[in-house]
Amino acid sequence: MVSIKINGKTVEVEQGTTVLKAAEKAGFTVPAMCHNDDVEQFTSCMICIVKEISQNRLIPSCSVEVTDGMNVVTEDGEIAEARKMALELLLSDHVGDCEAPCRLACPAHMNIPLMNRLLAEGKTDEALKVVRNDIVLPSVLGRICPAPCENACRRKTINDAVSICLLKRFAGDEGQITASQPSLPLNGKRVAVIGCGPAGLSAAYYLRLKGYRSVILDRNEIPGGTLHYSIPDDRLDKALLEREILFIRDAGVEFRLNTEVKAHGFSSLVKEYDAVVIATGDITEEVSSWGPDHNDKQLLVDRNTFQTSLPNVFAAGNVTRSARLAIRSLGQGKEAAFSINQLLNGRPLTGESRPFNSRFGKLMQEEFAEYLKESTAEKRLLPEQEGASFTKDEVRKEAARCLHCDCRKLNDCRLRDYSGMYHASQKRFIYQERKPVKKYFQHDIVVYEPEKCIKCGICVRLTAKYQEKLGLTFIGRGFDVRIGVPFNELLEKSLVKTARLVAEACPTGALSLKEHKNN
Amino acid sequence: MIVNINDIDQIIDLKGRGKTAVIPLLQAIQARYNFLPEEALKRVCDTTDITASEIIGVASFYHQFRFEPAGKHVIRVCVGTACHVKGSLLVYDSFRRELKLGKERHTDEAGDFTLEKVSCLGCCTLAPVVQIDRVTYGHVSSDKVDQVVHDFQRRGRKSQKKAVVRMNGDKTDGEIRIGLGSCCVASGSEEVRKAIEETVSLHHLNVKIKHVGCVGMCHQVPLMEVVPVNKDASLYAKVKPEDVKSIIHRHFKPDNLLQRIRLKLFDSLESVQSDTNWSGIERYSLDMREKHVSQFLGNQIPIATEYRGVINPLDIEEYISKRGFLGLKKALKLTPSQVIEEIKESGIRGRGGAGFPTGDKWETVARQEVHPKYLICNGDEGDPGAFMDRMLLESYPYRIIEGMLIAAYATGADSGYFYIRAEYPLAVTRMREAIRMSEEHGFLGKNILNTGFSFEVNIYEGAGAFVCGEETALIASIEGKRGFPRLRPPYPAQKGLWDKPTLVNNAETYAQVAYIIREGSRKFSSIGTENSRGTKVFALAGKINRGGLIEVPMGITIRKVVEDIGGGIAEGRKFKAVQIGGPSGGCIPHWLADTPIDFHSLHELGAMMGSGGMVVLDETDCMVDMARYFLSFTQNESCGKCTFCRIGTRKMLDILDRLCTGKTGANDLEELEKLAEWTKKGSLCGLGRTAPNPVLSTLAYFREEYEAHARGVCPATRCRDLITYSVNDNCIGCTLCSQRCPADAIAFTPHVKHEIQTDKCIRCNTCRQVCPADAITVK
Repeated sequence: MVSIKINGKTVEVEQGTTVLKAAEKAGFTVPAMCHNDDVEQFTSCMICIVKEISQNRLIPSCSVEVTDGMNVVTEDGEIAEARKMALELLLSDHVGDCEAPCRLACPAHMNIPLMNRLLAEGKTDEALKVVRNDIVLPSVLGRICPAPCENACRRKTINDAVSICLLKRFAGDEGQITASQPSLPLNGKRVAVIGCGPAGLSAAYYLRLKGYRSVILDRNEIPGGTLHYSIPDDRLDKALLEREILFIRDAGVEFRLNTEVKAHGFSSLVKEYDAVVIATGDITEEVSSWGPDHNDKQLLVDRNTFQTSLPNVFAAGNVTRSARLAIRSLGQGKEAAFSINQLLNGRPLTGESRPFNSRFGKLMQEEFAEYLKESTAEKRLLPEQEGASFTKDEVRKEAARCLHCDCRKLNDCRLRDYSGMYHASQKRFIYQERKPVKKYFQHDIVVYEPEKCIKCGICVRLTAKYQEKLGLTFIGRGFDVRIGVPFNELLEKSLVKTARLVAEACPTGALSLKEHKNN
Repeated sequence: MIVNINDIDQIIDLKGRGKTAVIPLLQAIQARYNFLPEEALKRVCDTTDITASEIIGVASFYHQFRFEPAGKHVIRVCVGTACHVKGSLLVYDSFRRELKLGKERHTDEAGDFTLEKVSCLGCCTLAPVVQIDRVTYGHVSSDKVDQVVHDFQRRGRKSQKKAVVRMNGDKTDGEIRIGLGSCCVASGSEEVRKAIEETVSLHHLNVKIKHVGCVGMCHQVPLMEVVPVNKDASLYAKVKPEDVKSIIHRHFKPDNLLQRIRLKLFDSLESVQSDTNWSGIERYSLDMREKHVSQFLGNQIPIATEYRGVINPLDIEEYISKRGFLGLKKALKLTPSQVIEEIKESGIRGRGGAGFPTGDKWETVARQEVHPKYLICNGDEGDPGAFMDRMLLESYPYRIIEGMLIAAYATGADSGYFYIRAEYPLAVTRMREAIRMSEEHGFLGKNILNTGFSFEVNIYEGAGAFVCGEETALIASIEGKRGFPRLRPPYPAQKGLWDKPTLVNNAETYAQVAYIIREGSRKFSSIGTENSRGTKVFALAGKINRGGLIEVPMGITIRKVVEDIGGGIAEGRKFKAVQIGGPSGGCIPHWLADTPIDFHSLHELGAMMGSGGMVVLDETDCMVDMARYFLSFTQNESCGKCTFCRIGTRKMLDILDRLCTGKTGANDLEELEKLAEWTKKGSLCGLGRTAPNPVLSTLAYFREEYEAHARGVCPATRCRDLITYSVNDNCIGCTLCSQRCPADAIAFTPHVKHEIQTDKCIRCNTCRQVCPADAITVK
């Protein structure tokens, strides 16, 4: 047995144990990408760097075996810099999107590609569930949203954007919404939401889902705020708004209409409720007199948390910055709900985190074919009559035009996780034109996207270990090294027994399973 | 390409079926087909232990291997350091134009020529150098490539005469020594040898023609030494084949009158027919007592290069007669630990680069109780400006074998390998022969010199990967794998080849071992400095008057090497810096020229001993371009395993490219430094860890040049994208530049001052080279 110190804690491990495993035993997780327990170590990614104090030396913990008296730290400023640097170098050579550009452009961050895939498969109810995770008024937004997502849609470079907004409208109109996401039982805490427009409705709904008793106060007689009072009927059938508000009410949100909040009333709300959300739309003189810091255009909030200068008062929607964009107000309402949940649970108030996103610029001409492999060549479909909705058949066709820009490893990519963790910047070391994206779909269950590969060689080692006849190999060397099938054979022949294994072991989205989990 | 399966099966029978046979198999297949046909590789996978993944992984790792057929002839443009500073890239581009090669193409339309870059042909004193098949051309400039191609084609049509040398029994009138090291051959010594043989044979002279190894005076090659019996020897430099006859006749007379008359007749006839511009042999004669010769040779101490220019590389009797194998005999009378003690006492440190104490390494291997133990001679010299190992392997094979035998005895090694770079065919041939001779004479094999000590040695040819000079990568390569280094420890001394204890030493280290044992450690350690004992062999090249291979005492100053041995800077220019240690080393500026050359002080200055390449730079050399040159080398040679080296070196190169092409961004210098810092700290092996040195040292001493580049100015007017060519008032209107301009950038205006259209100009430098009036200005 060897005794070593890790972050001040002494552990006894067997001779031959790596520092990485010893750290694990001591209860410290060291990030690593090229390491895989099933195969011998390769020392490639260098993310697992730790520091041996007695020699003040950085070492790759996955490969260094413990020696008696070692004294290791697994996190400090220098280590963080090393990991960040390594990640940034890897990112500069990693061409691929984490989340799709449409989703990043959506102020409510709706999972558009997943909605598209479900609609293309005819799974309207499931699609609606996905929409409602972020957008509580899909039918309404399906009619009034200016759709920034479509502007960002990669399909636009090839011919026309996917009709995302109309697809969402269809999901909202046709999807069955019974108990899609049941509200949690009331947890005893209460939040007051002032204003019944898109921001207020959204905040109240998501708060209720999380188990808060959420109460909306609005001076008007009819809920919906600007949606009801400012949008002409010919643009938005108010019955649809009513239907979606009914859904919010059914989820357990309480509505107190015809209730004007004045300065005094506001103070009482702040005292009575655990938190208050100001979502009044305009910043009136009245609102200005309530207390939170403001200027003549807006209430001042923390842009991540939507917290005002009063600790338990939050604000969302136009009152924080007049944008007149319902989808943004909806998004902010949702995020304010998230922050309030953090605050009331005693967790650090950070707001909804923005995970790291790898992205690249526009599609190049030569990449169209690669992206169309997973799509149809069809032109954009629009309902025959202007203002009309899609039929079910049209929906399937139009949704199938989606290019699946989002990565299949969105939620289990170590490169993404660590890049977020170490605040890596993808752009830092990009000096040259990027390499063109390639996608290989010939295999039954695996997709290969070589430009996402970080050359860790786990797949090469696995196919060798499990004796694939062809397997995978390193081709070339240095910066231009790539992973490929010997003799340019198809992936189908290369991965006979190990397809699932290598796809799951790949630390990035280079090798992934074709099937989509509902993420 | 039709592959004959029987051929492949024969090759497999010959080279073996195990995983370790993969590189020799690939080499044999490529030798047979000039590339690697897919059917052949599939046949190997089907009938051996080698998997498809392994064979493709290995074949695509090493630069030697081709997956596409090459042209009938291969043109290799040397882009080693010395050639680079003398404009080899311009030459390369010029060949591309000459062969009309389109983008990404390397073989011309007709399939006659394939154009390649090669790291170093080891003829640094003849830079820029180009090799077409086996013919080497020196001093090639961008305006001469058409002549080179033409000359090569002409040679092919001319049949070679075969000379027969007649020897009159034992009685000779003397000896003619001709250097046949690679650099001599490249300068034309092979032609000279033929001329000597023809003359000797034609005139029935009783003269012994002797091939000797490298003389070291590479700036004077081809060298020919005439040693008449009982008379003083004469050394002739830069000999041309047509001069040979006169030189020989000056010393030896034909054996009868008739012959003499015939000779005269012949000569007079020939001199009428040929237009040989012969100005007398005096021009070629070198007197050893002359100052520049004595300065070149007098400051050197030959240990690894003992008896240079005298000894025939393969003559084992001669080696024995010149105190060869005495060291071995002495060692065999000592105990292994006494030998190790002697080596430790001598203070010798590894000559391959890092300078690890040799005795300590031996001791570690000796202490291991596992058997078998292996011993490796690292001859994978990859520094693009160095050729010491090659010269030692070619010229002193027995000395290296002797050193290995002593090491094997001391460490208890059972067998050994020579790992020799693919680009060194002559070294392989000589060493193979030397091993055979040594075995015949009982120096190798079982029961050596009847002492019961046994040792055998094999040759392993590298396949083109600089990283294989790193010992763990070298071992992986012998094991038949991609040349990926691995983390140390464990060190090869504990766990090396096939996980067994393995001693890896550089060829030069072994070449000095015999001397140490024979002469005693004290004699060796009395040379050099406190921390660096003995001598070191350097390849001296670049902008000096006298380049060559030199063996100097450690601690000699840079100034002494440059000024005394090298004879100062050529063409009256100013000394700017010296690049020591190649891609792992750094540039030491002229103001630090009094620095003694030893491990410690070089390290202090951000350079390193490296393998011993020493390239002298003058005021016309751009330091940013130097850094870019080395980075492009290491980037190209990175194995690609670890992030910092694979991508870090590339990103540094990207920034240097931006600097040299005027596309600099705001933080480029800061980011360059950051990248250098982390590539150094974070890389897995020595290649990556030292790759930033050329950048860091030039940044430290010549930062203002970097800053100038960031502003779009190259002070040395080297960086093509930052300079413009124009015609000055010296122009005589001769139109030569206009005729030769490959880009039609100069209008044909006889007797009128010419003008260069900058937008058309490709900065190939042809006009400047052909201008007879020095009328081309570069700014």
